[in-house]
Amino acid sequence: MKKLTAIVLTAALTGFSAGLFAHDIEAWNSAIPDQPDHVLLRGATVWTAGDDGILEETDVLLRRGKIHRVGKDLKAPRGAVEIDASGRHITPGLIDAHSHAAVVGGVNEATLISTAMVGIEDVIDAESIHIYRQMAGGLTTMQVMHGSANAIGGRNIILKLRWGADPEGLKLDGQPGVIKFALGENPKQSNWGGAGGRYPDTRPGVAQIIDEKFQQAEQYRRDRDNAQGTVPHRRDIEMEVLLGILDGDIHVHSHGYRADEMLELMRIAERHDFRIQTLQHVLEGYKIADEMAEHGAGGSSFSDWWAYKYEVFDAIPYNGAIMHDRGVLTSFSSDDAELARRMNLEAAKAVRYGGLDEHEALKLVTANPAAQLDLADRIGRVAEGLDADVVLWSGHPLKSSSRVDQTWIDGRLYFDRQRDLEQREAWEAERRRLIELARAGDGGDDNSGGEDEEEAENAGAEDEASVSDPDERRRGELVMRRLLGQGASS
Amino acid sequence: MYRKLLFVLLGLGLMSGPLAADDSPLRQPVVGTHALTGITLVAAPGTEIADATLVVRDGVIVDAGSGVEIPAGARVHDFGDNDADLRVYPGLIDAWVPVSFGDEDKKADDDDKGPDLRPGQYPHPLVTPGRTLNSGHWPASKVADLRQAGFTTAALVPDSGLFRGRAAVVNLGEGRLGDNVLEPAFFQGVSLAARTDNRQFPSSLMGTVALFRQVMLDAAWQAEARSAWQKNPAQTRPQFLEGLVPLEDYLDGDGLMVFESADMLDSLRIADLAGEFDLKPWMVGHGREYQRLDSLAETGVGQILPLDFPDAPDVDGNDRDISLIELRHWQAAPENPARVIDSGLPVVFTSHPHGSANALYDNLARALENGLDAETALAALTTEPAKMLGLDDRLGRLARGYIANFIVVEGELMTESPVIREVWIDGRQHVLGEFEPPEVEPAGQWDLVMKTGEMGDIEAELKLSGKAPVLSGEFVVMGMPVPLAEARVSGKRLKVRIDGAGLGMPGNINFSLDIDGERATGKGSSPMGSFDLSARRTSGPDNDEDSA
Repeated sequence: MKKLTAIVLTAALTGFSAGLFAHDIEAWNSAIPDQPDHVLLRGATVWTAGDDGILEETDVLLRRGKIHRVGKDLKAPRGAVEIDASGRHITPGLIDAHSHAAVVGGVNEATLISTAMVGIEDVIDAESIHIYRQMAGGLTTMQVMHGSANAIGGRNIILKLRWGADPEGLKLDGQPGVIKFALGENPKQSNWGGAGGRYPDTRPGVAQIIDEKFQQAEQYRRDRDNAQGTVPHRRDIEMEVLLGILDGDIHVHSHGYRADEMLELMRIAERHDFRIQTLQHVLEGYKIADEMAEHGAGGSSFSDWWAYKYEVFDAIPYNGAIMHDRGVLTSFSSDDAELARRMNLEAAKAVRYGGLDEHEALKLVTANPAAQLDLADRIGRVAEGLDADVVLWSGHPLKSSSRVDQTWIDGRLYFDRQRDLEQREAWEAERRRLIELARAGDGGDDNSGGEDEEEAENAGAEDEASVSDPDERRRGELVMRRLLGQGASS
Repeated sequence: MYRKLLFVLLGLGLMSGPLAADDSPLRQPVVGTHALTGITLVAAPGTEIADATLVVRDGVIVDAGSGVEIPAGARVHDFGDNDADLRVYPGLIDAWVPVSFGDEDKKADDDDKGPDLRPGQYPHPLVTPGRTLNSGHWPASKVADLRQAGFTTAALVPDSGLFRGRAAVVNLGEGRLGDNVLEPAFFQGVSLAARTDNRQFPSSLMGTVALFRQVMLDAAWQAEARSAWQKNPAQTRPQFLEGLVPLEDYLDGDGLMVFESADMLDSLRIADLAGEFDLKPWMVGHGREYQRLDSLAETGVGQILPLDFPDAPDVDGNDRDISLIELRHWQAAPENPARVIDSGLPVVFTSHPHGSANALYDNLARALENGLDAETALAALTTEPAKMLGLDDRLGRLARGYIANFIVVEGELMTESPVIREVWIDGRQHVLGEFEPPEVEPAGQWDLVMKTGEMGDIEAELKLSGKAPVLSGEFVVMGMPVPLAEARVSGKRLKVRIDGAGLGMPGNINFSLDIDGERATGKGSSPMGSFDLSARRTSGPDNDEDSA
């Protein structure tokens, strides 16, 4: 999360949900699509995001949730679902390595300097409309992160955008442990409205507390392993998570902007013999690209988002391309539920700024974030044996005029543009039907039902002296409301 | 007969509200032996006995059925010569009534917030599993409200905290805690909605879940550690974790934990957490169980369901503003109780979160129109909660040996506005409405003048149809009709109640009219204050004009 004002303002709200905008589709009544044994997408331009580059007029065969074959003129197995993709493009499902979409009950546990004991896995919002909207933009996997209010934040979770699934069903199985760290203005409470009150409030203090926490964890391990007597050792969830980091089971994805403190974090990690998996945002990554490559830290950056606070003033649009050229495993991420709907266009900006090859640019939102999440053998490329997460585009995937026709996850058609358009008519019909039902008073609601009956009477013969004009009725209602205690406020 | 009953009651001193047994220096009435005859006995859901007799001695049912012998010396309440079908039902049981247990305000006053709160550090203000109800916090008015709606037993749970404390299972009689307790410290109330203020841990849902986990681990550790140290004191003494000892009753699924769920995803989260720690859970629902019912049914966790359905969206304005989501829930919500029951999960109903327990019946009626079966509904308010509370050998039905908790209803209970005449708790009679045989028939159309202080004279019409004692009709001000919640005749007096809920208002208007031929005078009250009334009948009951 970039902005502290956002943290403070949304602390009590449920994440980033755009509740202002109503939508018709809901997750709970969206069935999980079938998984055909075989799906054959024929004759597309296939962006593999792997060594094979871009393949013209190529077929992709999906089999029971995996990519089975990629090649020319593949033979369709009996009963295969065949889709004519000629003239269209296929890419791997897009991957967002930095998301806060689909979280309920707050993305920050902003209280303590280390909140390693909390985990996003407990608060996945399977009903979030962002899942559907982002998936309709070609996104198939996201790392949903804890916020950046703490030096050591909570554990993240990697989700597939399986719209309709329960929280458990959204989790990508076999994922590594992942945790959020944060440096700079957010953990040191620069923009918390003057009422921080928590140690530390300087950049060196942030570095010091991270080092201190790992010393504590090492002490915890010694105490646990050398416990004497029959009294059992008392488990501390926070400490055990930190030990998971030291043991390499939990990967650190750290928010940071400035070169100096990101360098310092890598040094702390090296001192404790672990590695920073990625630096997130990393807007000054171009200054320390060689050091990042040597440490083995990936960079998950924005294409062109900056100047929202002091520590982001040195950002440049060439950051992604420079890190990539210097051998850093580089991706572009959203940190934003809206931006995550068009990650292909973020990738395209690396072509414009920095002159990346188009296929390399697409890797910034596919193969590279997959590798940053340590899932390169599962997702991120169109290659045999990987998960059948592919996107069928109407045209060139880096063009702003192209759109997603189909999104497949695990060989299931989760988004289909044609189906969506048809559903909209059905939803409007459903809405109309329910409004008519409400008008008819069938729901047993006394208030609106009664008024409508009255209107119906008005429309009929004027046989009732007591049926009055609407203005008088309104005055009558006011009198009743006053009697019932609303008083003069109405 | 009616008058005789009244005299008896006055003699017993049970008519007035707050007179508590232990407040008076005078000799108190004994409970004694009563026999109710000429009733239809609903001994349990689905078991109805016509022309039955119920015999109660010292607060316990000694006999129930037809052809039961009335013991000598019993006070006989004969309902046989009554017009109405008087039905006696088991008293209703509400398994989730949140009330203040008192201690929660201490921390809020404290400016000095003390050390930072963190998981694993005790005491923590949200972790009070040992809290129990004391007599200083006996919620007398809440108890009276519930009794008014036909409830005779409730589980009173603390209304704040993560591990909130233990529910007191009580009868809803007059008197106080000591007179009413069945189980002083039963299930543990839990809510993941708990947060601390003042930037203290936890400030998020995931923080509360993490705190829950650390607390459960610590409670288990403490049990083991202290026992190991007791056996072998020649080692470092384990730190004492203040407040956690009461949680040892819940380890290994021994004690019942009841979680208040905020929404569908919370229900699934709770089931996961309960599984993680081998707990024995129930949960208080939210009304959207239908949304992921298959997943919920798989958990097997019993549901305490609220009956709280949304009103229809306002379709008179710009209907583009009405979301399909809102409309769908409005339509589906009243089907929720029946659908959850059909899923096979154990279900009980609660009056929570209604302000007035009477609102329960409005919603119950909607659920009954939407697939809920009346017998099952009665079970979810009697035998099922008795089972959940471990009291099914003494509560929830009317049979020999059971506690004498029952209600006397004119006609069916499972209707939109049942007429509950009497509520008996521990064999003590509470008369809700003292009625005399009707001596007037007020059906027809009346012109009213309400003389209010602040608002001057208000002219209104009262349209009544039906036959005494119970009528229906509407109240009309300037052409604005409001249905009557209740209109009933006792002697020459007509009593009318208008429920503000129809207008989305919390209060009621009540008035009575003493009828003398075609004229009447009376008094009434509303949230605005009291008023005097005068009335004149302008047309009789057979006139077509009041058919609207």
